[in-house]
Amino acid sequence: MSSHRILSRPGELIDRSTRLSFTWNGRPYTGYKGDTIASALAAEGVGVFSRGLKYHRRRGILTADHWDPNLAVQVGDEPNVRAGSRRLVEGMQVTAQNVWPCLRFDIGTATRLVGRFLSAGFYYKTFMRPRFLWNHVYQRVLRKFAPGGQVHWQTKSHDNYDKRYAHPDVLVAGGGPAGIAAALAAAKAGASVMLVEQEPELGGHLRWGGPDDLSVLDGLLEAVQSCSGIEILCDSVVTGRYDHNWVAIMQRSHPVALERLIKARVGSLVVAPGLIERPYVFAGNDTPGVMLSGAVKRLINLWAVSPGHRAVVFSANLEGDAVLADLESAGVEVVAVLDARAGDDVVRVKGKGRVKTILTGDGQTLEADLLVTAVGWTSPTSLLNMAGDRPVYDQVAARYFPQSLPDNVLATGGITGDGSITELVAHGRETGTLAASRAMRIRHDRMSATARSPKPSFDRPAAVSDERVPLRRVPHPECYQSSTHGLVDFSEDISSKDLIQAAAEGFDSIELMKRYTTVTMGPSQGKLETVNAAAVLAEARQTAIVDVGTTVWRPPFAPVSLGALAGQSFEPTRRSAIQNWHEANGATNMLAGQWVRPDHYGNPMAEVANVRNNVGLIDVTPLGKLDLRGPDVSRLLDLVYVNKWQNLEIGRVRYGVMVAEDGVVSDDGVTGRLAEEHYLMTTTSSGAGAVWEMLEDWLQTYRPEWEVHVTPVTGGLTSINVAGPRSRELLKRLVDDVDLSATAFPYFSVRKGSVAGVQDCIIWRIGFTGELSYEIHAHSGYALHIWEALLGAGSDLGVAPFGVEAQRILRLEKGHYIVGQDTDGLSKAPTASLGGLVKLDKLDTIGLPELRAAFQRSDLPVLVGLQTEDPSIVPEEACQIVSSDGNEILGRITSSRMSPTLGRSVCLAQVYSSLAAAGTLLTVKLVDGRRVKATVQEQHAHVDPEGERQRV
Amino acid sequence: MIVVPCPSCGPRNSSDLRNAGEVVPRPDPDTATLTEWRSYLYLRENPASWVTETWYCRNGCRRYFTIERNTATNEIRESDTT
Amino acid sequence: MSDIHYRSAVEFPFLSAPDGSISLADHSEYTKVLVRADRKTAAGKHLKVSYGRSRSRDGILICGSRPDEWTLLSEAHRSTEVAESVPRDGFVSVVDITHARTMFRISGSCAVDALAKVCNVDLADHMTPDGAVFSGSIAKVGCDVVRNDQEAGRSYLIACERSFGKYLFAVVADACAEFGIAIPSGMSTH
Repeated sequence: MSSHRILSRPGELIDRSTRLSFTWNGRPYTGYKGDTIASALAAEGVGVFSRGLKYHRRRGILTADHWDPNLAVQVGDEPNVRAGSRRLVEGMQVTAQNVWPCLRFDIGTATRLVGRFLSAGFYYKTFMRPRFLWNHVYQRVLRKFAPGGQVHWQTKSHDNYDKRYAHPDVLVAGGGPAGIAAALAAAKAGASVMLVEQEPELGGHLRWGGPDDLSVLDGLLEAVQSCSGIEILCDSVVTGRYDHNWVAIMQRSHPVALERLIKARVGSLVVAPGLIERPYVFAGNDTPGVMLSGAVKRLINLWAVSPGHRAVVFSANLEGDAVLADLESAGVEVVAVLDARAGDDVVRVKGKGRVKTILTGDGQTLEADLLVTAVGWTSPTSLLNMAGDRPVYDQVAARYFPQSLPDNVLATGGITGDGSITELVAHGRETGTLAASRAMRIRHDRMSATARSPKPSFDRPAAVSDERVPLRRVPHPECYQSSTHGLVDFSEDISSKDLIQAAAEGFDSIELMKRYTTVTMGPSQGKLETVNAAAVLAEARQTAIVDVGTTVWRPPFAPVSLGALAGQSFEPTRRSAIQNWHEANGATNMLAGQWVRPDHYGNPMAEVANVRNNVGLIDVTPLGKLDLRGPDVSRLLDLVYVNKWQNLEIGRVRYGVMVAEDGVVSDDGVTGRLAEEHYLMTTTSSGAGAVWEMLEDWLQTYRPEWEVHVTPVTGGLTSINVAGPRSRELLKRLVDDVDLSATAFPYFSVRKGSVAGVQDCIIWRIGFTGELSYEIHAHSGYALHIWEALLGAGSDLGVAPFGVEAQRILRLEKGHYIVGQDTDGLSKAPTASLGGLVKLDKLDTIGLPELRAAFQRSDLPVLVGLQTEDPSIVPEEACQIVSSDGNEILGRITSSRMSPTLGRSVCLAQVYSSLAAAGTLLTVKLVDGRRVKATVQEQHAHVDPEGERQRV
Repeated sequence: MIVVPCPSCGPRNSSDLRNAGEVVPRPDPDTATLTEWRSYLYLRENPASWVTETWYCRNGCRRYFTIERNTATNEIRESDTT
Repeated sequence: MSDIHYRSAVEFPFLSAPDGSISLADHSEYTKVLVRADRKTAAGKHLKVSYGRSRSRDGILICGSRPDEWTLLSEAHRSTEVAESVPRDGFVSVVDITHARTMFRISGSCAVDALAKVCNVDLADHMTPDGAVFSGSIAKVGCDVVRNDQEAGRSYLIACERSFGKYLFAVVADACAEFGIAIPSGMSTH
């Protein structure tokens, strides 16, 4: 057996039949299953685990739990592991952090020689000048002393994180005696309960207590494990409480996920975190061998490790007194017991790397290798603070207590007061019952208000006032600091002297002192040092602790991995019914919003040529489609579009533009009238959702008396555009019940019929590409059949698919603008050259006053067709149009491509209207800095400006 | 993540809805001056206290409704369908 | 037209855990008809079910999917029949959304645990009993859901906008993997 392991303890966590091997700084060690990294090393006589941040003094076990500031180690590629709580696993490779070259001979100790230059706020005063040394010297020096472990570039991403939602009636944060009792009582009252405990086992401080504690623990464990209404999460932490009891829980030790973030909407939150023991501030208080009473109890009782050979105990309370029995049973010689209540004090500890001598308040020098302190408790009120409470300091009991909480948050256990185990359990039980009754009232209200829920089968519970018997407040000496200076913040190496210096420099409010000195800002996040810092500051300001206040407790309560917060990322993608075919037939995909679509099939230029000469097919399913029905649809269209719609005949289609209330162009599309009270509206693909919401907004909130039903059918209708001079010929082969001739089916008309045997297709003639084209909207379940039939029926006509890129070129050749590409967030109607379309004599249109005002102006930019003098230059989209001296920006290129039809580049651009006359020569500044000339064209269309080809 | 009481669905997480902003009456578009119009577009009371605002139940019943919310405490009262 | 094969957005029609504790089945072909009408019209009275509830009648599952809106679900190829069963007095819109939705069924004792990973709606029995209808976000996609328990046990029909179908089915299957469903090769959540 290793040097410090003692004989079997009744409550021990270790499994002596299972030995585990691991390494510490390269050397092999063994421990037992159930050991933490720290307890296994302590059992083998290791006393030094790290070095302090600034002065690099040796550090040993202080609290032997999750909050121990001296036990941050690197495990494999995982930095900042807390050795005081992380359980040993076979094969672990553990190394010390923040040391160089090694833990034993850390060069960092040299900083103590320049200690006076490293006091509070030193980085505001040193490493400032000369400035030219910033990059090469100061940065490198400071990096060497940066705390924390190592993260390597090639660290294997632990991508097994997960998320989950939960809706417990009662959530109990803390699995000690009060928490377990609360969970049991709440479950008994019929509530659904979740019990969350940070340690891998339930029990809290009972686990390292005496025989009575262990027997109560057994009873509670048996009850809670046989209670089916309680979901127990151990090795999990409630990290934050947000509005309306939205609670975050980080669950570890899950069989599948490394960490799982549970987002819970909780009925009643019960906070039972217990108390955290405080260190004492005195000279040498960070020497290895100075431990808190809880650390000693845990080492002895949970892991059967003896903490030292000769001990001095400094106690201010009963818990400290109780440690004597444990020390005795572990075979530790107790040299002296100092009682703070009787006026004893510890003034200084001496020893290099281990406690050697202890100087007492009355001048004695004691020889020992272990100093156990028990000077008081800190209330971890974080969750209560997050619920809006401002806990108040009680001078008699020497700690903070909850003050006022909302009805749905209750505190229980040690955080509310002191008592015997029986009293703590009783308080927990009463709290659980109260929490459950309030939660059932909330459940009743939720069920009553929720449409899908049945009416509650139980009566609404009456409002219950809090009549719990409160726990006592046992007087406790205010025992924070000795007559010497010592460390207050072990993580950040901040001593009481630093805090007093900060106050003397003027940073004498607790918030300023925190930020100036960084006290409480390290990994321990105030758990061990907040109250000591307040006490030191109070002393410096000659005032009471209650007047100093504390800093704000913010989530998370315990560290959480960023991976767990990110969890699974959900990124929905949308696919048309033909997308699989595209991918199987050479399509290169692009992402347009959420839609995966074919950008091209290998040669977009050839696709353009094929449309101009033969016939092409493009899948335009992402086009927003809205089915509009009702007697008032035309009124709605008049309201939302800038043009007029009352006279659109059945079977006709019209182009419309929408502007927002500020007159900025927001969307466009064509709308066709299918029947007396039935229209199909199209929108841009990115605007589909927004337009639908907008229509519902106006119908519900502005004109609820209008009878219109809007149903989105974007995915339900697959849209295939058949474009090219031979499109009619192709379509005739597959359409029997519609006359496709030019006279019977003119440009901008809509018909219903069957295509390739698929019924109920909507076909209209529009002209985005500038060629004769038909757009077919068909039921998606059968659309692939139509696509394949079109390809099969037209091989002699040269039918081939074309993608988004080819369509972009085709429409640009025709000068058709795209909202959001050729217009932007400031573009009003005149900028999109909508002059003829906008009807300003309507009485009510969205944005009407701004529309009218915009047309009064002469200084707005307008859209023009532009061609560079050098036909081979294709200016990048968004490059600037500048004045000839280059000093002013006059506009920009909005769309630009090489046109295969013309064999030269073509553009659309925005310029000030004063420069928009045809023939104007403009200067375009390319991205590489070259300035090239470009000429404003007669119209936007570069090909077939008369628009003959689409009207045949 | 506050709870918003949708009058049709019941209480829902705010992520299921969209806050459509303070309720501001729309001037008559045919007769409003540009100043009146832009006040409607851009100016809001934005108090640190009770405000009447519209919410849209985006993931649920898709109805617009108004509630009063205290912007300082996130207390909510009296759902009222517009 | 019955010889033209209906194609769903979902490529794997049925996935199941070996012990049957969870299964996914594609039902995109189901007839789905949307009816919008004021509750007081003949259609509203005929359909009767209030928002949030559902009931079966004559082979049609009538779901109160929104205030003044019902979704009628039935076996495939019954659109005309189902649409014609709705009285049209007053302002009534009947829209066939069979093709506008991907729909699948998730069943089994672990269904709630799987859904709890991707959906923030409380699925406990007292909040969402058999027959309950609701809309919510599942893996960031808006869905309509009806709890429709079968003989074998707990079961939900989930419908989303058709184009999200491949993604949503894959993400829900992924959530079920923890409970024993084998993810077919070729199914990805991206």
